[in-house]
Amino acid sequence: MPVIQTEELTKRFPATTALDRLSIEVEPGVVGLVGANGAGKSTLIKILLGLSPATSGRASVFGLDVTEDGPQIRERVGYMPEHDCLPGDVSATEFVVHMARMSGLPPDAARERTADILRHVGLYEERYRPIGGYSTGMKQRVKLAQALVHDPEIVMLDEPTNGLDPVGRDDMLLLIRRIWAEFGITVLVTSHLLGELERISDHVVVIDGGTLLRSSSTSEFTRTSQTLLIEVSAEADAVAATLTSAGLTVKRDGAQLVLPLDDDEVYDLVRDAVAAEGVGLIRLEQGRHHISEIFGEDQGGVGR
Amino acid sequence: MTEQPSGVIHDIGYRKYDGPRLGRARVTRALYAHSLRGAYGLGRSARAKVLPMLLLGVMALPAFIIAVITNVTSDITGGLPLPYSRYVMVTMPILAIFLAAQAPASLSRDLRFKTVPLYFSRPMERSDYVLAKYGALATAVFLLLTLPLLIMYVGALLAELPAGEQTGDLLLALLGAAVFAVVFAGIGLVIASLTPRRGFGVAAIITVLALSFAAVSALQGIIRYEVGDADLAGWLGLLSPATLVDGFQTWVLDASSSSVAPPPGAAGGVVYVLVTFAVIGACWALLNLRYRKVAVS
Amino acid sequence: MNGTVVRLTYRALLGGRRAWLLLLMSVVLLAMAVLLRLTVGVDHQVTADFLGAVSVAALVPLFGLIVGTGVIGPEIDDGSIVYLLSKPISRPRIILSKLAVAATGTVLFAAVPTFVAGLVMSGTADRIALGFGVAALVASVAYSAIFLLLSVVTRHAVVYGLAYALIWEGLLGSFVPGARTLSVQQWSLSLTEAITTRDLVSSDVRLAVAGVLLAVVIVGATWYAGQRLRVLSLAGEE
Repeated sequence: MPVIQTEELTKRFPATTALDRLSIEVEPGVVGLVGANGAGKSTLIKILLGLSPATSGRASVFGLDVTEDGPQIRERVGYMPEHDCLPGDVSATEFVVHMARMSGLPPDAARERTADILRHVGLYEERYRPIGGYSTGMKQRVKLAQALVHDPEIVMLDEPTNGLDPVGRDDMLLLIRRIWAEFGITVLVTSHLLGELERISDHVVVIDGGTLLRSSSTSEFTRTSQTLLIEVSAEADAVAATLTSAGLTVKRDGAQLVLPLDDDEVYDLVRDAVAAEGVGLIRLEQGRHHISEIFGEDQGGVGR
Repeated sequence: MTEQPSGVIHDIGYRKYDGPRLGRARVTRALYAHSLRGAYGLGRSARAKVLPMLLLGVMALPAFIIAVITNVTSDITGGLPLPYSRYVMVTMPILAIFLAAQAPASLSRDLRFKTVPLYFSRPMERSDYVLAKYGALATAVFLLLTLPLLIMYVGALLAELPAGEQTGDLLLALLGAAVFAVVFAGIGLVIASLTPRRGFGVAAIITVLALSFAAVSALQGIIRYEVGDADLAGWLGLLSPATLVDGFQTWVLDASSSSVAPPPGAAGGVVYVLVTFAVIGACWALLNLRYRKVAVS
Repeated sequence: MNGTVVRLTYRALLGGRRAWLLLLMSVVLLAMAVLLRLTVGVDHQVTADFLGAVSVAALVPLFGLIVGTGVIGPEIDDGSIVYLLSKPISRPRIILSKLAVAATGTVLFAAVPTFVAGLVMSGTADRIALGFGVAALVASVAYSAIFLLLSVVTRHAVVYGLAYALIWEGLLGSFVPGARTLSVQQWSLSLTEAITTRDLVSSDVRLAVAGVLLAVVIVGATWYAGQRLRVLSLAGEE
């Protein structure tokens, strides 16, 4: 049963149209919402939360209409905004407890769950210091904690990796994956960075200029092309020759060699060829389509 | 709890929440309680407590002195040196400072740090937020006004002044204090909601309150005593919140007037009542309007 | 004094809501003066009482508060003061530049309207308008300097400034005679007393004392503010 459903959802502002007859369905799992800045991702989330009214069209969350049953939806939803939203003079614990109370948890449950959640997102002694002194990574964790503390059925994360360094990004992505895999909470995560969503989403929705470009599962996007890419440190020609004489069709793609991956024997052949030539094997990976390729595909005018 | 470097996610297992989820009404009450405590600095840093507690003390001190004086002179004077209902006007500057300091403290934080969307993405409507904040500050101001009155009451009882009369006067004064609280809290919040800068909010509130009071009182004085037109002076009292509610109190609750000129006649009295309620209604409407427009980014 | 700082501060002060509030206050003062002139006619005692109670006792201190804190408070509050502090401009110079803007603003919006209100109500008789105009002018500069200093010293300058203006000069001033010698209002009123030919205004402070104290406060506050700006630290909220 789809968790989120929109039907011809439109949102017009005086100057621009943020969403244009968007119709999507989101199943439980991790759903990535991709689009450039200004594509309409944040607007969609705000409409789903009832923070902003749609100009036309319908949207429902858990089967409840967003305009009529807003409060009931908001009881079961967590929201992590893109912008800074944390007061500087309270500690993380105080703040998350307060937010838990604002979500309807009784005082004791609020305190208990806050302690749990802060541990899950990775805030330990820091949680007692004022938020004003936190690093960006810690602040993002607090934002995530307040979205999760009331055990929602779905969380909407708006650009959660903004401002994080590469290690912080990885940590956040892993955490997001855990939210679905271990906590069982559906995640709607937006980003303008395609590479990240590849790694963690089950389903990807691509929006551009408020219209839907593509909506399909990640595995479809990144079908293995059944090819093997290798890159060696030297003597690429010699290695290619060895492999060709072993019966494989070798294509040269710049510094890389592309081999058809028919069975596991190919790995053995590569290993032997490389060892025989005495060179280093720099890269050995399966060739895949990347999400970025769809933009190339679909910007040719192929719409929904 | 084991100490781990913050990069590592600790896996103890996630627990679902099956407990009660309190609805809008309870959540609004929780925000009300939180804001009320915040108005007196409870639940915040030690420095936040200093000003409100100090003001509470300064507010109560004259009442304490009055109580003592009453006990000493009760045989001679047979009553309180200052009627209950006049206390608020006498201590108006302190009330004004409390309002100017705490109204922005209540609202500016959420506006400045853009925490407001987090509230509205929860089962809380905009009007609930406004109700909680308004109610909390009005209650805080009411408490500020009530404490000295209670001190004076106890002093009066100890001086063996007639209990029935004192209780009656006290209750009327409390009613007046309630109206003062609601009107002033409303005005303070409306001004505070217009700016995320706390300092400017404080200055704007005090300017509106102090300047209006000074200007209206001066004008009233001149018009009443130099020109001799007590009625016009009375009408002028509508233009400042302090004289407005004092006029309301004088006419509706039969209190002794602290203003230069009371509401002129029955027509004046009715107008004062209408304007008082109109001001409260306008504050409520403006606050709701303001929070509907808060940019939800 | 630094021209760029002056220009930036001036623009920051007068752009936005603060400017409207200031303008409103001046207009209200002038409106009341006109109203009184029309209803009361020309009565010099009325003029003196009105200008003393509304302008010198309320408008000018509030103005000094809003403008004095407004020229540096918001910058310290949101941390953008660091951009200014990292430039090769000496701290006292920054203070002087900001004080110049604050004083000019207060003079323009409080002192000049006071003078004009005096003219409206009493004409040029007895130098009343001049007397109060000068008082407002001097008090404006003094309050600007005091509140500018307070803004550098504490983030809660507005509240402490209010407490001073209302409680010290207002309440206590009425009950404790000693407090009146240390009141900016009294100092400026002694100037009025000296200037106006008729006996309409009395101040508890002698002219010489008032003059000295005013000079000390203005110079001292400005100097100390410069020193404090040197060691300014941008801490957390409360």
